[in-house]
Amino acid sequence: MLLPVFTLKLRHKISPRMVAVGRYDGTHPCLAAATQADKIFIHNPHTRSQHFSASRVIQSPLESDVSLLNINQAVSCLTAGVLNPQLGCDTLLVGTQTNLLAYDVYNNSDLFYREVADGANAIVLGTLGDISSPLAVIGGNCALQGFDHEGNDLFWTVTGDNVHSLALCDFDSDGKKELLVGSEDFDIRVFKEDEIVAEMTETEVITSLCPMYGSRFGYALSNGTVGVYDKTTRYWRIKSKNHAMGIHAFDLNSDGVPELITGWSNGKVDARSDRTGEVIFKDNFSSAIAGVVEGDYWMDGHVQLICCSVDGEIRGYLPGTAEVQGNLMDTSVEQDLIRELSQKKQNLLLELRNYEENTKAESSSPLSEADGHRGIIPANTKLHTTLSVNLGSETQAPHTELCISTSNDTIIRAVLIFAEGIFIGESHVVHPSVHNLSNSICIPVTPPKDVPVDLHLKAFVGYRSSTQFHVFELTRQLPRFSMYALTSPDSATEPLSYVNFVIAERVQRVVIWLSQNFLLPEDSNIQNAPFRVCFTSLRNGGQLYIKVKPSGEITVNTDDIDLAGDIIQSLASFFAIEDLQVEADFPAYFEELRKVLVKVDEYHSVHQKLSADMADNSNLIRSLLVRAEDARLMRDMKTMKSRYMELYDLNKDLLNGYKIRCNNHTELLGNLKAVNQAIQRAGHLRVGKPKNQVITACRDAIRSNNINTLFRIMRVGTASS
Amino acid sequence: MDLNLNRADYLQVGVTTQKTMKLLPASKHRATQKVVIGDQDGVVMCFGVKKGEAVAVFKTLPGQKIARLELGGVLNTPQEKIFIAAGSEIRGFTKRGKQFLSFETNLTESIKAMHISGSDLFLSASYIYNHYCDCKDQHYYLSGDKINDIICLPVERLPRITPVLACQDRVLRVLQGSDLTYEVEVPGPPTVLALHNGNGGDSGEDLVFGTSDGKLGLIQITTSNPVHKWEIRNEKKRGGILCIDSFDIMGDGVKDLLVGRDDGMVEVYSFDSANEPVLRFDQTLSESITSIQGGCIGKDGYDEIVVSTYSGWVTGLTTEPAHKESGPGEELKINQEMQNKIYSLRSELEHLQYKVLQEREKYQQYSQSSKAKSAVPSFSVNDKFILNKDDASYSLILEVQTAIDNVLIQSDVPIDLLDMDKNSAVVSFSSCDSESNDNFLLATYRCQANTTRLELKIRSIEGQYGTLQAYVTPRIQPKTCQVRQYQIKPLSLHQRTHFIDHGRPMNTLTLTGQFSFAEVHSWVFFCLPEVPEKPPAGECVTFYFQNTFLDTQLESTYRKGEGVFKSDNISTISILKDVLSKEATKRKINLNIAYEINEVSVKHTLKLIHPKLEYQLLLAKKVQLIDALKELQVHEGNTNFLIPEYRCILEEADHLQEEYKKQPAHLERLYGMITDLFIDKFKFKGTNVKTKVPLLLEILDSYDQNALIAFFDAA
Repeated sequence: MLLPVFTLKLRHKISPRMVAVGRYDGTHPCLAAATQADKIFIHNPHTRSQHFSASRVIQSPLESDVSLLNINQAVSCLTAGVLNPQLGCDTLLVGTQTNLLAYDVYNNSDLFYREVADGANAIVLGTLGDISSPLAVIGGNCALQGFDHEGNDLFWTVTGDNVHSLALCDFDSDGKKELLVGSEDFDIRVFKEDEIVAEMTETEVITSLCPMYGSRFGYALSNGTVGVYDKTTRYWRIKSKNHAMGIHAFDLNSDGVPELITGWSNGKVDARSDRTGEVIFKDNFSSAIAGVVEGDYWMDGHVQLICCSVDGEIRGYLPGTAEVQGNLMDTSVEQDLIRELSQKKQNLLLELRNYEENTKAESSSPLSEADGHRGIIPANTKLHTTLSVNLGSETQAPHTELCISTSNDTIIRAVLIFAEGIFIGESHVVHPSVHNLSNSICIPVTPPKDVPVDLHLKAFVGYRSSTQFHVFELTRQLPRFSMYALTSPDSATEPLSYVNFVIAERVQRVVIWLSQNFLLPEDSNIQNAPFRVCFTSLRNGGQLYIKVKPSGEITVNTDDIDLAGDIIQSLASFFAIEDLQVEADFPAYFEELRKVLVKVDEYHSVHQKLSADMADNSNLIRSLLVRAEDARLMRDMKTMKSRYMELYDLNKDLLNGYKIRCNNHTELLGNLKAVNQAIQRAGHLRVGKPKNQVITACRDAIRSNNINTLFRIMRVGTASS
Repeated sequence: MDLNLNRADYLQVGVTTQKTMKLLPASKHRATQKVVIGDQDGVVMCFGVKKGEAVAVFKTLPGQKIARLELGGVLNTPQEKIFIAAGSEIRGFTKRGKQFLSFETNLTESIKAMHISGSDLFLSASYIYNHYCDCKDQHYYLSGDKINDIICLPVERLPRITPVLACQDRVLRVLQGSDLTYEVEVPGPPTVLALHNGNGGDSGEDLVFGTSDGKLGLIQITTSNPVHKWEIRNEKKRGGILCIDSFDIMGDGVKDLLVGRDDGMVEVYSFDSANEPVLRFDQTLSESITSIQGGCIGKDGYDEIVVSTYSGWVTGLTTEPAHKESGPGEELKINQEMQNKIYSLRSELEHLQYKVLQEREKYQQYSQSSKAKSAVPSFSVNDKFILNKDDASYSLILEVQTAIDNVLIQSDVPIDLLDMDKNSAVVSFSSCDSESNDNFLLATYRCQANTTRLELKIRSIEGQYGTLQAYVTPRIQPKTCQVRQYQIKPLSLHQRTHFIDHGRPMNTLTLTGQFSFAEVHSWVFFCLPEVPEKPPAGECVTFYFQNTFLDTQLESTYRKGEGVFKSDNISTISILKDVLSKEATKRKINLNIAYEINEVSVKHTLKLIHPKLEYQLLLAKKVQLIDALKELQVHEGNTNFLIPEYRCILEEADHLQEEYKKQPAHLERLYGMITDLFIDKFKFKGTNVKTKVPLLLEILDSYDQNALIAFFDAA
């Protein structure tokens, strides 16, 4: 049993995920964490913190070894580490929704204080790819930015959605670190500098990422899942009803391989083997875990695992010695093994008995009413499933339909579908009332995104009066583009927007791709090239045309730029195409984007004007206050009163101005996000090298504020005409 | 003194029921004892433990499910004859496994509880108690509600035979011959009885009882009246009590109380100088503890607590230190034993796996033929659906002998499923189209590996009634699921009680018409929980109930052709009226319904609600302040500048937050009940006041008792 080597109870709350350990004076590790009231506290158990006697830092009135740092804005991310190698000590980095602060705690000075328009939701510090100096990489609204110790913006790129987690990991084992980005659209993207080298789609928002070793990394989702990836393959994952608040890699059992340590919202901490996910250690806190970090906190040369709870409880664990390896839990392994084996034996015995009873039932008389009650059904009962497209009716929106039926007079009592990402929870249940029981059930399914989904079905089959049911388990895959119905082509409604590209594949192979990714009616047969198919989206009724010429030229007409991108990515992965240049035109979308860009400019100028106004007003306040106080000293109460009235009005104006500024800012953020997304989408239409070229070129165009070039790049894929 | 017990698993048999494991008395002084256990497959097994390995002494053939196992023998000699109750039969075995008795009782139902004392045999089926002496019928008693356990005060110490029945309606019934001497009310439905200290204490009349809501108590059963000695309330919300034993595990010369609960908790209470019980040790195993006894079976010289669990594990919690602390040579030896055990288990498994594979193939072949049938393997589900008095919610507990894969909960009435810290299953709520399919709740619980027990909390609304169904799918092949149904009754938050306050202003509902006693009883059974299914004996019967949420009461008296229901809560009467008239119409019985409304009762009910509401409002207010106050504290460094009230909040912060968390949606529920009360009050007057409800909610938002009462009067 592994016991904590130290336990501290600080009287400060700790905000979840905002914990970092750093040697701010170069030698002593201190714990920094965000707490209530926009403050950060630094716990320094080693020396009485006499040198923290400057303006920003104040001594905590509650504890002598804790100092407080006032940020005055809600802290959204926090980390510590070496940003300037010449400095010889760690820097504390604090991100808020508008700014990034790099702070030298020991010298009480700012390294830099930068405004970041996209906000900082996540931060990671380290070296990225070939960039020599350490970078502080922050992730905000669809954007990633990396700063060196002088605050220079050395790295900038966009990603699909708001960033929630970042990590640096040597993903392709080339000795250089790649950036892992987890975002709100459920994707983990891997950036080799600004090039996306891999994308993994998960089932929920990725809240944490942590490098393990080599190309292995751990991840946590907002639905309570944690797991480990090695490159693009998932080793294991588990799901809990609690949420993972922080994950960290640490070798707790001294076997040379780090385990994934997870801190949970219910106060549990567990260490899981990186290979199997098996729990090798667990402990409990009385409140939710705020963060898991490591550091040589006692300065005895051993690195401890440090777990912090939101109530300020901190426990440190030393890794177990080699002898107790595998014995971190309090019950002995043998006992557990025996229990497990016995349980297995019992299960097998039960199964055996089930078969015996079955043979007994076999020999008895033919099926009767009583048999149905006990759940005896004909042995050759089969379950059929079909997936089809339902165009809907007046009362029902169009949907994809899953029909399940039994092969005889048995009924389906209920169907459970476990699938990720397409239902509100992780499962969907269909339980008809007693009057509506029959041998078939049709279930409407409407996947919100175009991703292939595995449907794990459990159907309870029996008779009307049964109290026991057979459970039929089977898995069906919902094709990626199941929400598109094949319709007869009608050139009048053909969308103006299109993408056009050439692939060197036989037409038959394209047909195979079609039938695997769309729900085509069984009788449809597609003639040889050239051919044209038309689909209607079940979500919004939009049209989708796919035209294939014998030369291998494919034109996809749709107004939905995301759909076009998805189709290209799907084709690319099906035919294993590495690089694909695409010509695209989305007039409607581009027009919208143009408007957004104009708006961004507007908001920027409004922002500047408002800031100037505010500065003016604050000058005015100063003078008004002086005059009012003068009047008071002169005992001229009337003037004083009127001055204070003016001050009050001005204050009201300021408050209003603040509200306008806030609104302006949120609008600005929304529009910036739209711009970032547009770049991402333009990239999504291409594959491989052209994709990165498009993103880089777009970025340059935006920097130089050259809107026309931007649209040309989006259309043809390169800046040069 | 600290008690340190180490767990050792000995053996697994089939699924066991309550009180089916005993330790045979040791033959020589300080020798290890043998364990005898009976399971639901009908197998009685006796085994000893040698070097950590279970060695069987005898094992009988499978038969009917064993409901109880007791030891007996000639009084004042070692009690080493084994008696089992299976079906309606009692069988006796010697300690060598030779059957010497097979007694077919004349009971029509199967035996539920048994007690043996010398040649006296006390048996009970669901409602019937029978006393046999030398297998000859002596006495008989029909109980008003289900009998859960039976015991007789020690005949060797007392001059009389005093059987005591633990009945579901929260009473212990003390008998004399075939007649009831008196009833003792206990705080919950008693599930188990045991003699204090194993012999009835100093007086020989002391009885320990355990209830299904986890309470323990000691009562002295004198000839004329009961004397309550002590009671342990279930503060930690642990499971119901299934078994009790007395054994000196602490080694201080005083027998300690060993308790096993249905949530896997094993507890040891010792007694202080004032003879009050003090909790000394608790450990949780993951499944119901069905039997518990102290003794010595693993190693000579080390006492231990032996428990059997629902899925048939016999486990010892022994005072023998774990092998880590013993000498280096010894450790190796024990490891060797373990290794052997694991090795033999593994080879056994391999053999079984091969056999199962063969059978599986055969099964597959069968499924090809058109004439063949496929049976569902049956598995036993141990379930419990009970009302918790403390927070007026229901607990649904499901336990299966193997790991549960998933549970589907379906309900055709609106209910809330509450989150439980105890269970780790991932819950997922599914959308339900209530109109076409009668679903108000569809939720799946996907269990983590090795979960055999699932506990859910459900909040119901009075007046909304229907059925809750649980589809349980365990992880066994072939995959199968079992459905269990639970009734949510119209007055679901009411609980039986035995005394009510007659001084309260009451509203009365009187039914008259052409109905039989059985019919009116079935209606009451339909409406209210904790009513026996069978109509009780006699021509006229009275039941008292208490609303667990509001503490209002209900008195129901009925006979053939007449039923009178009295309650101080108008809503209760209104619900009863609606449901009863609906039920009667269903059976085409003409009912005359008369009611008498007491205006004062509304005010009275509001006054009952007032302290609860005020407390909740204050609590909510305080909890809201905590964070802000804490921030101030951080800012200023001390709390001296705060007014005492705020300082008090800060000091009690943790406690307040805990309290607040414990009662989610308590305020909303109170508001709902007040609204119901308001609507019902005017419904009886024939006016519909639904339009005024928003006004009422406004008043509740700025709550003041007088304003509320005035509003009720004025509207």
